[in-house]
Parts: sequence; structure tokens; C-alpha cells
Amino acid sequence: MKILNCRFGDLEYQPEDLILFPEGLIGFEHLHDFVMMPNRPEKLPFWIQSITNPDFALMLAYPELVFPDYNFTPDQKDKEKLGLIDLDGHITLSIVTLHKNQTITFNLAAPIILAPTTSRALQCILEGAPYNTRTPLI
Amino acid sequence: MLVLTRKVGEGIIIGDDVRVTVVEVRGNSIRLGIDAPHHKKIHRLEVYERIKNETQLATNWLPADLDSLQSTFKSSFLKD
Repeated sequence: MKILNCRFGDLEYQPEDLILFPEGLIGFEHLHDFVMMPNRPEKLPFWIQSITNPDFALMLAYPELVFPDYNFTPDQKDKEKLGLIDLDGHITLSIVTLHKNQTITFNLAAPIILAPTTSRALQCILEGAPYNTRTPLI
Repeated sequence: MLVLTRKVGEGIIIGDDVRVTVVEVRGNSIRLGIDAPHHKKIHRLEVYERIKNETQLATNWLPADLDSLQSTFKSSFLKD
């Protein structure tokens, strides 16, 4: 059991709760190691906390529940970075933004692809797709 | 920022493995050809910045906000 002091206080986590972003996040390439909130109820939004930067934590949600037509397939390069052997076994997630006016938006333009079997993740940019960085949760 | 003037067909090399070539100039637009190692990501700058800024914004939340979001999902989006 390890303890990380973050802005929410002391966070206890197990090594198996760690996720590695080999390339960090877009614009935050130095942030590789995150704690993923353990005991996640099936498909509910959850959060991830940076080990490197205690102030950096994100809410993630399953976009398929809100946007059933939203679809992303990792390419071969992405699969290699995730350590995946076959195409299955990836989960597509969206970073959720809570705005000052209390609206909630999903970043559908830059999904987080998580590979639970390898505990790795990466953020992909969907270039030219009709997706927005701020798609409202209606 | 280093500013260089290139003609169509001319290029630059960044480090030893990224080459940028001016492919075509048409009005206000320039077509750039980029040769880079397979693993290097290349993005339009404004897209990259927009995503970075949105992610930064997305770090502003408190545990109560996540609770609220989870409640919303439980009641509206999760099938029982």
C-alpha cells in the first residue's frame, strides 16, 4: 500500500492501481504515472491522479453511454504503445470538463485509450473527425 | 522562434530525424510535407493547443463534482 499526498488529501493506492501513459498526455508529456481510482463501479465516471503532479487529476467517463455512435479504433501504432497484441481489450474514455457555469462537457476529440490488461493508456487526437473538445452532456 | 524563408521544394531538417518540405504554396496556404520517425506524433498546432488547454481546464474539480457526475450517470445513462 502506498500513499500519495494530493490535493484531495492522502491517497492510498496499490501498485495494481497504477496506469502508465508512455507518452503522457497531449501537452503534458512528462506525466506518465497515474493512480486510477480503485473499486470502480461498472461504467461510472471515475478519476485518475498524477503521481508526478499532486495537483493534476482528471475525471474520466465512458462516452459510449452518452454518445452511442461514438467510436474509436486504435491503429497498429497505438496498439504497440499500449502493449496490446490484439485489437480487443481496449477501453475508450473521455476526459470530462466541469465548467464554471456548471456545464459538463466531454472531450470527444482527444479520447483516452486504456488497456486494462497492460495497465497502459494513451491519449489520441481524432484529426478531422467531427468531434469536439467540448461536447456537452445533455 | 527560428524563422527561415524557403521556396517551394526546399526544406528544413530538425534534429537529425525530422524533415519538413514545402510541397506547394497556394494563396495563403502552404502544403508541408513531413518526414519523421514512425513513433513521433505530428499534430496541427492549434488542435494540440486546444486539447492541452481543455485538459488543463479539466483538472479543476472537487470530489463532490465527481459524486454528482456519478449520480447523473446512475440516473440518466446507466441501464439497470
